[in-house]
Amino acid sequence: MAAAAGLALRTAGADGSSSCLSMERIRALTDLRELEAAYGCLCAEEKVVEEELEALLEQQGTIENKMVALHRMGPNLQLIEGDTRQLAGMITFTWNLAENVSSKVRQLDLAKNRLYQAIQRADDILDLKFCMDGVQTALRNEDYEQAAAHIHRYLSLDKSVIELSRQGKEGSIIDANLKLLQEAEQRLKTIVTEKFDIAMKQGDLPQVERFFKIFPLLGLHEEGLSKFSEYLCKQVANKAEENLLLVMGTDMSDRRAAVIFADTLTLLFEGIARIVETHQPIVETYYGLGRLYTLIKHLQVECDRQVENVVDKFIKQRDYHRQFQQVQNSMMRSSATEKIEPRELDPILTEVTLMNARSELYLRFIKRRIISDFEVGDSMASEEVKQEHQKYLDKLLNNCLLSRTMQELIGYYITMEEYFMRETVNKAVAMDTYEKGQLISSMVDDVFYIVKKCIGRALSSSSIDCLCAMINHSTTELESNFREVLYNKLKLGFPATTFQDFQRGVTSAVNIMHSSLQQGKFDTKGIESTDEAKQSFLVTLNNVEVCSENIMTLKKTLESDCSKLLSQGFGGEQAQAKIDSCLSDMAAVSNKFRDLLQEGLNELNSSAIKPQVKPWINLFLSVSHNIEEEEFNDYEANDPWVQQFIVNLEQQMAEFKAGLSPVIYDSLTSLMTSLVAVELEKVVLKSTFSRLGGLQFDKELRSLVAYLTTVTTWTIRDKFARLSQMATILNLERVTEILDYWGPNSGPLTWRLTPAEVRQVLALRIDFRSEDIKRLRL
Amino acid sequence: SWKAGLDWTLGKTSLHIFKQLLCCLQWYTPEACLQFKDHFQAQVRSACHQRNTGTVGLKISKVVVVGDLFVGKTSLINRFCKDIFDRDYKATIGVDFEIERFEIAGVPYNLQIWDTAGQEKFKCIASAYYRGAEVIVTVFDLADIQTLDHTKQWLEDALRENEPGSSFIFLVGTKKDLVSGATCERTERDAIRFASEMQAEYWSVSAKTGENVKEFFSRVAALAFERSMLKELEKSNGRMAQIGAGNLIKLEGNSLDAPESNSQASLSCC
Repeated sequence: MAAAAGLALRTAGADGSSSCLSMERIRALTDLRELEAAYGCLCAEEKVVEEELEALLEQQGTIENKMVALHRMGPNLQLIEGDTRQLAGMITFTWNLAENVSSKVRQLDLAKNRLYQAIQRADDILDLKFCMDGVQTALRNEDYEQAAAHIHRYLSLDKSVIELSRQGKEGSIIDANLKLLQEAEQRLKTIVTEKFDIAMKQGDLPQVERFFKIFPLLGLHEEGLSKFSEYLCKQVANKAEENLLLVMGTDMSDRRAAVIFADTLTLLFEGIARIVETHQPIVETYYGLGRLYTLIKHLQVECDRQVENVVDKFIKQRDYHRQFQQVQNSMMRSSATEKIEPRELDPILTEVTLMNARSELYLRFIKRRIISDFEVGDSMASEEVKQEHQKYLDKLLNNCLLSRTMQELIGYYITMEEYFMRETVNKAVAMDTYEKGQLISSMVDDVFYIVKKCIGRALSSSSIDCLCAMINHSTTELESNFREVLYNKLKLGFPATTFQDFQRGVTSAVNIMHSSLQQGKFDTKGIESTDEAKQSFLVTLNNVEVCSENIMTLKKTLESDCSKLLSQGFGGEQAQAKIDSCLSDMAAVSNKFRDLLQEGLNELNSSAIKPQVKPWINLFLSVSHNIEEEEFNDYEANDPWVQQFIVNLEQQMAEFKAGLSPVIYDSLTSLMTSLVAVELEKVVLKSTFSRLGGLQFDKELRSLVAYLTTVTTWTIRDKFARLSQMATILNLERVTEILDYWGPNSGPLTWRLTPAEVRQVLALRIDFRSEDIKRLRL
Repeated sequence: SWKAGLDWTLGKTSLHIFKQLLCCLQWYTPEACLQFKDHFQAQVRSACHQRNTGTVGLKISKVVVVGDLFVGKTSLINRFCKDIFDRDYKATIGVDFEIERFEIAGVPYNLQIWDTAGQEKFKCIASAYYRGAEVIVTVFDLADIQTLDHTKQWLEDALRENEPGSSFIFLVGTKKDLVSGATCERTERDAIRFASEMQAEYWSVSAKTGENVKEFFSRVAALAFERSMLKELEKSNGRMAQIGAGNLIKLEGNSLDAPESNSQASLSCC
C-alpha cells in the first residue's frame, strides 16, 4: 500500500502543477493510516506552494524599478532613430563615390595593360631587330650557337604580334627586318646542315655534336636526329665492317672460332647499346623527352643492315642452308649411308642459339629504353597517344629485319635440333648396354641426357617459341619413338625358360633337344640367351619406370628454368601460358610410361608367374584332404604341399626381386598374390574334405598368408578373405553351425561368399549331408 | 536454333556460356559436317548434370589453325577472342596463342587456340606445335582459290604429328565479305568436295563482318568438349575396371595390344 502511495506521489511530483493526490483518490481513502499519510503529504505540498508565492512577491519591487527605467529611455530611442537615418544617407553617398572611383581605376588598369602590351611589342620589335642584328653579327663571326639562339628567340615570338607590328606605321621597316631574319634563318639552316655534313665526313665528333645541338634551336628536331643518326650509323657501319673483316680472317683454331658470328653480333649490339647510352643524355637535354624512339628507329635500320651482313656471312661460311637441306633429306630418307652425322651439327646449333640469345638481349634493351623514355615523355599525354607510341614500338621490335632474320635462323635450327635429338637418341638406343648389378640400362640415362641437352640449348636461345617447339619435339620423341623402343622390347615377352622345363621333367627337356636337333642346330647357348631375354625384359620394365619419373623431374626443372627466363623480362604476354601448355603435354607422357609399365607387369604375371604357379597350386589336388587322425598327424610331420609351394614361390620371386626396382617388385608381388588367391580357390572347390582335412587346409592357408604377408608391403588379407571364409566353413563341426556366423550373427565379419557359394563349399565336406545343406536357410 | 542455348557475354575477356546441354551443335552445311545430332551423347549429358566430370583440373582442348599466309588465320582468331578486326596485315611470326574460356553445361572448359605462321620460312617452328591437336582448323581464302588447293598439304603436315583419328578437322573459307554471292557459291561447292575428302567439316566466315565466326568456334568448342568428356569418362571407367578383382582372370592373350585398339575404336566413333 505504501509503495502504491509512493508511486502516486512520484507521478504527482513529475506533474508539478496539480496536487499530488486527486480528489477522487482522497475520497476513496478509508483507512486511517492512509488518510494520515495523504494529509501529511498535502501539508508538505502546501508549504512548498507558500514558499514559491513568497518568492514571487519579493520580486515585485525590482520589476517596478525596471519599468520606470524603461519609461525613461523612450525619448533617447527617438534620437537614435534620427541619427541612424542620417548615417544610412552618408553610406549611400560614399558607396556611389566609391563606385565612381573604382570604374576610373579599372579604366586606368586597362590603359596600363595596353601600355604593357605596347611596351612588349616594342620590346619584341626591338628583339626582332636585335635578333636580326645579332644573327648577322653572329653569322659573320661564325658564332652559330649565338645565331641559332637569336633565331630561336625569333621563332618563339608570338606570330600574331609580328603580324600586328607589320600593320603598324613602321610596317615597311619591320617587314624588311623580318625578311632579313627569315633569310638569315634559311642561311643558318643551310650552313648548319653543310657544316654538320662536313664534320660528319671528317668524323669530327665535337663539331658533329656542336651542330647536332643547334638543330632543335632552329625547330629541326627530326632533321637533327636523322642527321645525327646518320653519323652514328656510319660509326656503327665502320666498326661492324671492321669486325666482319676480322672474322673472315679468324684462324679456325681460335678459342672463339666456333661462335665467332655470335661474338660479332654481340660486338655490334654492344656498340649500338653504348651509342644509345652515351647519346641519350644529349638527346634528352637538347631535344626533349620522347625522342629516343626516333633515334633508335634510325639506328635500327643500320643495325638491320649489319645483321644482314653478318648473317649472310654466317650462312655462307657455316654452310647453314646446305646443312639444313641435308638434315631435311636425312630426315626423309632412312638409309644410313647419306645421313648427316648429328655430332657435326653440334657447334652450329650452339652458335645459332647464342646468336638468337644476343639478339633477344639487345631487343629487350632497346625496348626498355624506349618504353621508359616514352613513359616520361607521355606522362601528360592522352591514352590515344600512348597507344600510338606502343604501336610504334611493337612495330619496330617485331618488324625489324633483325627479328625476322633471327626467326628464320631459329626455324631452321629447330628442324636441325630435332634431327640431332632423334639421331642421337637412336644412337643411344643402338648402343644400349646393361651392366650386371644395375637395374636400368645405359640408354635411359643417355636419352634423358640428350633430351635435356637439346631443350637446354633451345632454352639458351632465350626465345620462348623456340623453347616450346623443342619441348614439343622432345615430348613427341619420348612418347612415340623412345616409348616404341621400350614397348617393342616388352612385346618380345618374358620367355618361359628351358631351365624351368628341365624342372618340369626330363621329357620336355628331351623334346626341346629334339626340336633343336631337327632344326639342324643344337644351340648350347640356349639357356644363356633365354636368361638374357629374361633380364632384358626386367631391365626394360625398370627403364620404363625410370623414364616416367625422369619426365616429371625434367618437367619440374624446366618449370623453374622458364620462370627464371620470364622473370628476366623475356617472352611476350602469352609466354607463360604457352610454356604451361607444352609442359603439361610433357607430363602426360609420364603417365603413358606408367601405363606401359602396368601392361608389362601384367604380361610378366601372365607369361612367367602364372604358368609356374598354376601347376604348383594344382599339386594341392593330389594331396588328399579326406583324412583321418593318422594321416593328419603324418601331414604334421611331413608337410605334403604348402611348405614346398612356399619354397617354390620364394625361389621364383627371388629372381624378380633381384632384377626389378622395389616399386615394380611390389606391384608384381601384388599381382602374384592375387593370382595365388584366385587359383587356390579354384582347386579348393575341386577337392573334398573331411573334418580334419578342413583343419589341415586351414593350417595350410594360414602358413601361406603368413608367408605372403612377409613379402608384400600392402595388406593381403583382403585378397584372401574369400579363402579364409572357405576355410572357416570347412572347419565347421556340423552344417547348422554356419548359422552362428551368418546373417545377424556375422558380427564384424563381412561375407564375401554368396549363399550359393557357401552351400557349394559346405558340400565339399564329405561328412555333411546334402539334405542338411539344402535345408539351410541362408 | 543454337542461339537459344547460348549466352554471349560482351567484353574482351568474355566467358562463353552454353547454358543448356542441348545446344549449339549446329553445323554449317549438311554436305560437309562431322555430326548431325543436336544433343550431346547421353552419358556426357548425365556426367555434366551430376558434375561428375572426372578427375582433376580444367578440361582443355588444343586447337591448331593452319593455312597459307594472308588467308586471315590471325584475323579469324582475333575476331573471336578480342572482337577486333585490324585492317593492317601483320605476318604472324612463329606461333601466337590465345586461351578462350567457356562454360558448357556448367562445366568450365577452355579452348587453347594456336595460331601458326603461314609463311614457308616459319614452317619449321610452326610445325613443332601441331602435336596433340584435338582440333585442326585448315583455313583458306574464299577469294583466292589457290589457297584452297594448298589446304590438303597443310592438313597432311598437321596430321603427321597426330595420332590418326584423334583430331576433328575443320575446313574454313575466310573473307566471305570480299566475294560475290555467285563466286562464293561456286567456291563453296569446291570446298565442300575438299572437305568431304578430308573428312572435315566446312564453314564459310568473315572476320571483317564477324559473320559465322562465333557460330564456328561454338561448334568447335561443343564438339571438342563432347569428345574430351567421352575420353575422360572412358578413362575413369577403365580405371574402375582395373580395381575390380575379376580383371586378373582375363589376362590371357596379348594383353599389351588390347587397350590400344580399344581406345582407337572408340575415338573414331564420330
